[in-house]
Amino acid sequence: MSEAIATYDPAVDAAAHHHPIYDYDSGPPVERGKFAIWLFLATEVMFFSGLIGAYIVLRSGASSWPDPQERLAVDITAFNTFVLITSSWLMVKALFASKKGDRNGILFWLGLTILGGSLFVSIQVYEYIQLIHEGAVPHVDLFWSTFYIMTGFHGSHVVVGVIWLTVVWFKALAGRYTARNNLGVELAGLYWHFVDLVWVLLFTIVYLF
Amino acid sequence: MSHDDHDSKHFSAERIFVFLFVFTMLEVGWGLAGKHFHWNRVSLWGGLLFFAFLKGWLIAIYFMHLKFEGWVVKSLILPTPFLIMVIFGYVMPDVANKEGHLIHPIGSELDPVTGKVIEHMEQGWHPPHHEEAAAAH
Repeated sequence: MSEAIATYDPAVDAAAHHHPIYDYDSGPPVERGKFAIWLFLATEVMFFSGLIGAYIVLRSGASSWPDPQERLAVDITAFNTFVLITSSWLMVKALFASKKGDRNGILFWLGLTILGGSLFVSIQVYEYIQLIHEGAVPHVDLFWSTFYIMTGFHGSHVVVGVIWLTVVWFKALAGRYTARNNLGVELAGLYWHFVDLVWVLLFTIVYLF
Repeated sequence: MSHDDHDSKHFSAERIFVFLFVFTMLEVGWGLAGKHFHWNRVSLWGGLLFFAFLKGWLIAIYFMHLKFEGWVVKSLILPTPFLIMVIFGYVMPDVANKEGHLIHPIGSELDPVTGKVIEHMEQGWHPPHHEEAAAAH
Protein backbone atom coordinates (compact mmCIF):
# COMPACT_ATOMS: atom_id res chain seq x y z
CA MET A 1 0.00 0.00 0.00
CA SER A 2 1.42 3.34 -0.98
CA GLU A 3 1.96 6.05 1.58
CA ALA A 4 -0.58 8.31 -0.14
CA ILE A 5 -3.34 5.72 0.29
CA ALA A 6 -2.30 4.79 3.82
CA THR A 7 -2.43 8.38 4.98
CA TYR A 8 -5.65 9.27 3.15
CA ASP A 9 -8.27 10.66 5.50
CA PRO A 10 -11.66 11.40 3.84
CA ALA A 11 -12.63 13.86 6.53
CA VAL A 12 -9.58 15.95 5.77
CA ASP A 13 -8.89 15.25 2.12
CA ALA A 14 -12.37 15.07 0.58
CA ALA A 15 -12.91 18.78 0.70
CA ALA A 16 -9.47 19.39 -0.77
CA HIS A 17 -8.28 18.39 -4.22
CA HIS A 18 -9.25 14.69 -4.17
CA HIS A 19 -13.02 15.12 -4.47
CA PRO A 20 -14.26 18.37 -5.92
CA ILE A 21 -17.69 19.35 -4.63
CA TYR A 22 -20.17 20.00 -7.41
CA ASP A 23 -23.15 22.28 -6.98
CA TYR A 24 -25.32 20.00 -9.10
CA ASP A 25 -26.45 16.37 -8.96
CA SER A 26 -24.83 14.36 -11.74
CA GLY A 27 -27.31 11.49 -11.34
CA PRO A 28 -30.58 10.90 -13.22
CA PRO A 29 -33.54 13.19 -12.39
CA VAL A 30 -35.06 10.61 -10.05
CA GLU A 31 -34.04 9.23 -6.67
CA ARG A 32 -31.30 6.64 -7.01
CA GLY A 33 -33.27 4.09 -5.00
CA LYS A 34 -36.29 4.47 -7.24
CA PHE A 35 -34.13 4.22 -10.37
CA ALA A 36 -32.60 1.02 -9.00
CA ILE A 37 -35.89 -0.61 -8.00
CA TRP A 38 -37.48 0.10 -11.40
CA LEU A 39 -34.41 -1.30 -13.15
CA PHE A 40 -34.67 -4.37 -10.93
CA LEU A 41 -38.39 -4.69 -11.64
CA ALA A 42 -37.68 -4.52 -15.38
CA THR A 43 -35.39 -7.55 -15.01
CA GLU A 44 -38.09 -9.27 -12.98
CA VAL A 45 -40.62 -8.62 -15.75
CA MET A 46 -38.28 -10.38 -18.17
CA PHE A 47 -37.73 -13.23 -15.70
CA PHE A 48 -41.43 -13.97 -15.28
CA SER A 49 -41.97 -13.44 -19.01
CA GLY A 50 -39.46 -16.22 -19.59
CA LEU A 51 -41.36 -18.54 -17.27
CA ILE A 52 -44.74 -17.69 -18.80
CA GLY A 53 -43.28 -17.91 -22.31
CA ALA A 54 -41.89 -21.37 -21.58
CA TYR A 55 -45.28 -22.38 -20.20
CA ILE A 56 -47.08 -21.18 -23.33
CA VAL A 57 -44.61 -22.98 -25.60
CA LEU A 58 -44.86 -26.24 -23.65
CA ARG A 59 -48.63 -26.07 -23.40
CA SER A 60 -49.03 -25.24 -27.09
CA GLY A 61 -46.69 -28.03 -28.05
CA ALA A 62 -48.34 -30.68 -25.88
CA SER A 63 -50.70 -33.01 -27.67
CA SER A 64 -53.23 -32.42 -24.88
CA TRP A 65 -53.40 -30.38 -21.70
CA PRO A 66 -55.55 -31.11 -18.64
CA ASP A 67 -58.24 -28.64 -17.64
CA PRO A 68 -56.67 -26.65 -14.76
CA GLN A 69 -60.07 -26.25 -13.11
CA GLU A 70 -60.32 -30.02 -12.72
CA ARG A 71 -56.92 -30.29 -11.05
CA LEU A 72 -56.70 -27.06 -9.03
CA ALA A 73 -58.87 -25.45 -6.37
CA VAL A 74 -59.89 -22.29 -8.25
CA ASP A 75 -62.22 -21.10 -5.46
CA ILE A 76 -59.50 -21.08 -2.80
CA THR A 77 -57.02 -19.43 -5.14
CA ALA A 78 -59.57 -16.81 -6.22
CA PHE A 79 -59.95 -15.94 -2.54
CA ASN A 80 -56.16 -15.81 -2.26
CA THR A 81 -56.09 -13.40 -5.20
CA PHE A 82 -58.50 -11.13 -3.32
CA VAL A 83 -56.17 -11.33 -0.31
CA LEU A 84 -53.17 -10.18 -2.36
CA ILE A 85 -55.10 -7.40 -4.11
CA THR A 86 -56.36 -6.22 -0.71
CA SER A 87 -52.82 -6.22 0.69
CA SER A 88 -51.73 -4.13 -2.31
CA TRP A 89 -54.42 -1.56 -1.48
CA LEU A 90 -53.33 -1.60 2.18
CA MET A 91 -49.79 -0.87 1.00
CA VAL A 92 -51.04 2.21 -0.84
CA LYS A 93 -52.67 3.37 2.41
CA ALA A 94 -49.35 2.84 4.23
CA LEU A 95 -47.55 4.93 1.61
CA PHE A 96 -50.14 7.71 1.90
CA ALA A 97 -49.65 7.65 5.67
CA SER A 98 -45.88 7.86 5.26
CA LYS A 99 -46.19 10.91 3.00
CA LYS A 100 -48.20 12.62 5.73
CA GLY A 101 -45.56 11.70 8.32
CA ASP A 102 -48.15 9.61 10.15
CA ARG A 103 -46.00 7.04 11.98
CA ASN A 104 -48.93 5.23 13.57
CA GLY A 105 -50.69 5.12 10.22
CA ILE A 106 -47.64 3.48 8.61
CA LEU A 107 -47.45 0.90 11.39
CA PHE A 108 -51.17 0.13 11.15
CA TRP A 109 -51.53 -0.14 7.36
CA LEU A 110 -48.14 -1.78 6.83
CA GLY A 111 -48.91 -4.27 9.59
CA LEU A 112 -52.13 -5.23 7.82
CA THR A 113 -50.23 -5.52 4.53
CA ILE A 114 -47.77 -7.93 6.15
CA LEU A 115 -50.66 -9.96 7.56
CA GLY A 116 -52.23 -10.12 4.09
CA GLY A 117 -48.98 -11.30 2.53
CA SER A 118 -48.51 -13.90 5.27
CA LEU A 119 -52.06 -15.15 4.75
CA PHE A 120 -51.44 -15.48 1.01
CA VAL A 121 -48.30 -17.57 1.60
CA SER A 122 -50.09 -19.69 4.22
CA ILE A 123 -52.95 -20.48 1.83
CA GLN A 124 -50.48 -21.33 -0.93
CA VAL A 125 -48.58 -23.68 1.40
CA TYR A 126 -51.92 -25.28 2.37
CA GLU A 127 -52.72 -25.74 -1.32
CA TYR A 128 -49.30 -27.34 -1.93
CA ILE A 129 -49.77 -29.72 1.02
CA GLN A 130 -53.17 -30.79 -0.26
CA LEU A 131 -51.84 -31.39 -3.77
CA ILE A 132 -48.77 -33.28 -2.61
CA HIS A 133 -51.01 -35.39 -0.36
CA GLU A 134 -52.98 -36.35 -3.50
CA GLY A 135 -49.77 -37.31 -5.27
CA ALA A 136 -49.59 -34.20 -7.44
CA VAL A 137 -45.83 -33.63 -7.25
CA PRO A 138 -43.71 -31.76 -9.82
CA HIS A 139 -42.30 -34.84 -11.59
CA VAL A 140 -45.72 -36.42 -12.25
CA ASP A 141 -46.22 -34.58 -15.52
CA LEU A 142 -45.58 -31.32 -17.35
CA PHE A 143 -48.71 -29.68 -15.98
CA TRP A 144 -47.50 -30.04 -12.41
CA SER A 145 -43.87 -29.15 -13.09
CA THR A 146 -44.85 -25.88 -14.79
CA PHE A 147 -47.44 -25.20 -12.09
CA TYR A 148 -44.95 -25.59 -9.23
CA ILE A 149 -42.21 -23.66 -11.01
CA MET A 150 -44.37 -20.62 -11.73
CA THR A 151 -46.35 -20.46 -8.51
CA GLY A 152 -43.28 -21.45 -6.48
CA PHE A 153 -41.12 -18.66 -7.86
CA HIS A 154 -43.95 -16.19 -7.31
CA GLY A 155 -44.48 -17.50 -3.77
CA SER A 156 -40.79 -17.03 -3.00
CA HIS A 157 -41.13 -13.43 -4.19
CA VAL A 158 -44.06 -12.96 -1.80
CA VAL A 159 -41.96 -14.35 1.07
CA VAL A 160 -39.15 -11.91 0.22
CA GLY A 161 -41.73 -9.11 0.08
CA VAL A 162 -43.13 -9.99 3.50
CA ILE A 163 -39.59 -9.98 4.97
CA TRP A 164 -38.83 -6.64 3.30
CA LEU A 165 -42.09 -5.09 4.56
CA THR A 166 -41.38 -6.39 8.05
CA VAL A 167 -37.96 -4.67 8.01
CA VAL A 168 -39.67 -1.44 6.87
CA TRP A 169 -42.25 -1.84 9.66
CA PHE A 170 -39.51 -2.03 12.29
CA LYS A 171 -37.77 1.00 10.78
CA ALA A 172 -41.07 2.87 10.96
CA LEU A 173 -41.40 1.77 14.58
CA ALA A 174 -37.98 3.28 15.22
CA GLY A 175 -39.19 6.56 13.66
CA ARG A 176 -36.92 6.41 10.61
CA TYR A 177 -39.55 7.77 8.19
CA THR A 178 -40.89 11.29 7.98
CA ALA A 179 -43.12 13.22 5.59
CA ARG A 180 -39.99 14.23 3.63
CA ASN A 181 -38.04 10.99 4.01
CA ASN A 182 -40.19 7.99 3.13
CA LEU A 183 -38.44 6.48 0.13
CA GLY A 184 -37.92 3.20 2.00
CA VAL A 185 -41.68 2.70 2.27
CA GLU A 186 -42.20 3.63 -1.38
CA LEU A 187 -39.55 1.20 -2.69
CA ALA A 188 -40.91 -1.72 -0.66
CA GLY A 189 -44.38 -0.78 -1.90
CA LEU A 190 -43.30 -0.82 -5.54
CA TYR A 191 -41.92 -4.32 -5.11
CA TRP A 192 -45.10 -5.44 -3.35
CA HIS A 193 -47.37 -4.07 -6.08
CA PHE A 194 -45.22 -5.78 -8.69
CA VAL A 195 -45.66 -9.12 -6.89
CA ASP A 196 -49.41 -8.46 -6.94
CA LEU A 197 -49.34 -7.60 -10.64
CA VAL A 198 -47.48 -10.81 -11.50
CA TRP A 199 -49.99 -12.87 -9.54
CA VAL A 200 -52.90 -11.29 -11.43
CA LEU A 201 -51.39 -12.63 -14.67
CA LEU A 202 -50.28 -15.99 -13.24
CA PHE A 203 -53.67 -16.67 -11.70
CA THR A 204 -55.31 -16.13 -15.08
CA ILE A 205 -52.83 -18.19 -17.07
CA VAL A 206 -52.30 -21.08 -14.64
CA TYR A 207 -55.75 -21.45 -13.04
CA LEU A 208 -58.32 -20.14 -15.49
CA PHE A 209 -56.93 -20.83 -18.98
CA MET B 1 -41.13 14.09 -3.15
CA SER B 2 -42.59 16.98 -1.20
CA HIS B 3 -45.94 17.03 0.54
CA ASP B 4 -47.31 19.32 -2.17
CA ASP B 5 -46.18 16.88 -4.85
CA HIS B 6 -48.03 14.13 -3.06
CA ASP B 7 -51.27 16.12 -2.91
CA SER B 8 -51.13 16.87 -6.63
CA LYS B 9 -50.59 13.16 -7.39
CA HIS B 10 -53.32 11.85 -5.15
CA PHE B 11 -55.83 9.34 -6.46
CA SER B 12 -58.60 7.31 -4.93
CA ALA B 13 -56.98 4.04 -3.90
CA GLU B 14 -60.39 2.81 -2.75
CA ARG B 15 -61.86 3.26 -6.22
CA ILE B 16 -58.98 1.34 -7.86
CA PHE B 17 -59.32 -1.38 -5.22
CA VAL B 18 -63.05 -1.76 -5.96
CA PHE B 19 -62.31 -1.95 -9.70
CA LEU B 20 -59.72 -4.69 -9.09
CA PHE B 21 -62.14 -6.57 -6.87
CA VAL B 22 -64.98 -6.42 -9.40
CA PHE B 23 -62.75 -7.28 -12.36
CA THR B 24 -61.39 -10.32 -10.50
CA MET B 25 -64.92 -11.56 -9.82
CA LEU B 26 -65.87 -11.00 -13.47
CA GLU B 27 -62.72 -12.78 -14.60
CA VAL B 28 -63.33 -15.84 -12.42
CA GLY B 29 -66.97 -15.89 -13.55
CA TRP B 30 -65.87 -15.61 -17.18
CA GLY B 31 -63.40 -18.50 -16.76
CA LEU B 32 -65.92 -20.79 -15.04
CA ALA B 33 -68.72 -19.95 -17.46
CA GLY B 34 -66.44 -20.43 -20.45
CA LYS B 35 -65.45 -23.92 -19.31
CA HIS B 36 -68.98 -24.83 -18.30
CA PHE B 37 -70.62 -23.74 -21.56
CA HIS B 38 -67.66 -24.83 -23.73
CA TRP B 39 -66.95 -21.43 -25.26
CA ASN B 40 -64.39 -21.39 -28.02
CA ARG B 41 -60.81 -20.58 -27.03
CA VAL B 42 -60.75 -17.14 -28.61
CA SER B 43 -63.72 -15.97 -26.53
CA LEU B 44 -62.55 -17.64 -23.33
CA TRP B 45 -58.87 -16.68 -23.48
CA GLY B 46 -59.58 -13.28 -25.01
CA GLY B 47 -61.89 -12.34 -22.15
CA LEU B 48 -59.51 -13.68 -19.51
CA LEU B 49 -56.54 -11.82 -20.98
CA PHE B 50 -58.60 -8.64 -21.25
CA PHE B 51 -59.46 -8.72 -17.53
CA ALA B 52 -55.93 -9.76 -16.51
CA PHE B 53 -54.22 -6.98 -18.46
CA LEU B 54 -56.82 -4.44 -17.35
CA LYS B 55 -56.07 -5.28 -13.71
CA GLY B 56 -52.32 -5.28 -14.34
CA TRP B 57 -52.60 -1.89 -16.03
CA LEU B 58 -54.53 -0.42 -13.06
CA ILE B 59 -51.95 -1.74 -10.59
CA ALA B 60 -49.00 -0.43 -12.63
CA ILE B 61 -50.51 2.96 -13.46
CA TYR B 62 -52.03 3.84 -10.08
CA PHE B 63 -50.69 1.61 -7.29
CA MET B 64 -47.14 1.76 -8.70
CA HIS B 65 -47.54 5.47 -9.56
CA LEU B 66 -46.31 4.93 -13.12
CA LYS B 67 -48.79 7.56 -14.30
CA PHE B 68 -47.05 10.17 -12.15
CA GLU B 69 -43.44 9.20 -12.89
CA GLY B 70 -41.09 11.04 -15.22
CA TRP B 71 -39.45 9.87 -18.43
CA VAL B 72 -36.55 8.11 -16.68
CA VAL B 73 -38.71 5.58 -14.86
CA LYS B 74 -41.02 5.11 -17.84
CA SER B 75 -38.06 4.52 -20.15
CA LEU B 76 -36.87 1.76 -17.81
CA ILE B 77 -40.10 -0.22 -17.81
CA LEU B 78 -41.86 0.57 -21.09
CA PRO B 79 -39.44 -1.36 -23.37
CA THR B 80 -40.15 -4.61 -21.53
CA PRO B 81 -43.48 -5.39 -23.27
CA PHE B 82 -41.76 -5.04 -26.64
CA LEU B 83 -38.92 -7.30 -25.51
CA ILE B 84 -41.51 -9.83 -24.37
CA MET B 85 -43.12 -9.71 -27.80
CA VAL B 86 -39.70 -10.41 -29.32
CA ILE B 87 -39.27 -13.47 -27.07
CA PHE B 88 -42.69 -14.80 -27.97
CA GLY B 89 -42.14 -14.02 -31.63
CA TYR B 90 -38.97 -16.08 -31.64
CA VAL B 91 -40.29 -19.10 -29.79
CA MET B 92 -43.81 -19.38 -31.17
CA PRO B 93 -42.74 -20.77 -34.57
CA ASP B 94 -40.99 -23.53 -32.66
CA VAL B 95 -44.01 -24.33 -30.60
CA ALA B 96 -44.40 -27.44 -31.40
CA ASN B 97 -43.65 -30.64 -32.59
CA LYS B 98 -46.23 -29.76 -35.19
CA GLU B 99 -44.00 -31.29 -37.85
CA GLY B 100 -43.26 -34.42 -35.87
CA HIS B 101 -39.59 -33.75 -35.16
CA LEU B 102 -39.84 -35.30 -31.70
CA ILE B 103 -40.37 -38.99 -31.07
CA HIS B 104 -43.11 -38.24 -28.56
CA PRO B 105 -45.09 -35.00 -28.16
CA ILE B 106 -44.22 -32.47 -25.45
CA GLY B 107 -45.76 -33.58 -22.18
CA SER B 108 -45.47 -37.31 -22.82
CA GLU B 109 -44.78 -39.35 -19.73
CA LEU B 110 -43.58 -42.85 -18.95
CA ASP B 111 -45.98 -45.04 -17.02
CA PRO B 112 -43.76 -46.67 -14.36
CA VAL B 113 -46.11 -49.66 -14.04
CA THR B 114 -46.68 -50.65 -17.66
CA GLY B 115 -43.55 -49.05 -19.11
CA LYS B 116 -45.64 -47.51 -21.88
CA VAL B 117 -45.41 -43.91 -23.01
CA ILE B 118 -48.56 -41.90 -22.32
CA GLU B 119 -48.73 -39.18 -24.95
CA HIS B 120 -51.87 -37.51 -23.65
CA MET B 121 -51.60 -36.06 -20.15
CA GLU B 122 -55.34 -36.35 -19.61
CA GLN B 123 -54.90 -40.14 -19.71
CA GLY B 124 -52.27 -40.01 -16.97
CA TRP B 125 -52.55 -38.62 -13.47
CA HIS B 126 -56.01 -37.98 -12.00
CA PRO B 127 -56.94 -36.63 -8.55
CA PRO B 128 -58.02 -39.36 -6.09
CA HIS B 129 -61.65 -38.18 -5.97
CA HIS B 130 -61.78 -38.54 -9.77
CA GLU B 131 -60.89 -42.24 -9.54
CA GLU B 132 -63.34 -42.80 -6.68
CA ALA B 133 -66.12 -41.24 -8.74
CA ALA B 134 -65.20 -43.43 -11.71
CA ALA B 135 -65.23 -46.55 -9.51
CA ALA B 136 -68.66 -45.61 -8.09
CA HIS B 137 -70.05 -45.52 -11.61
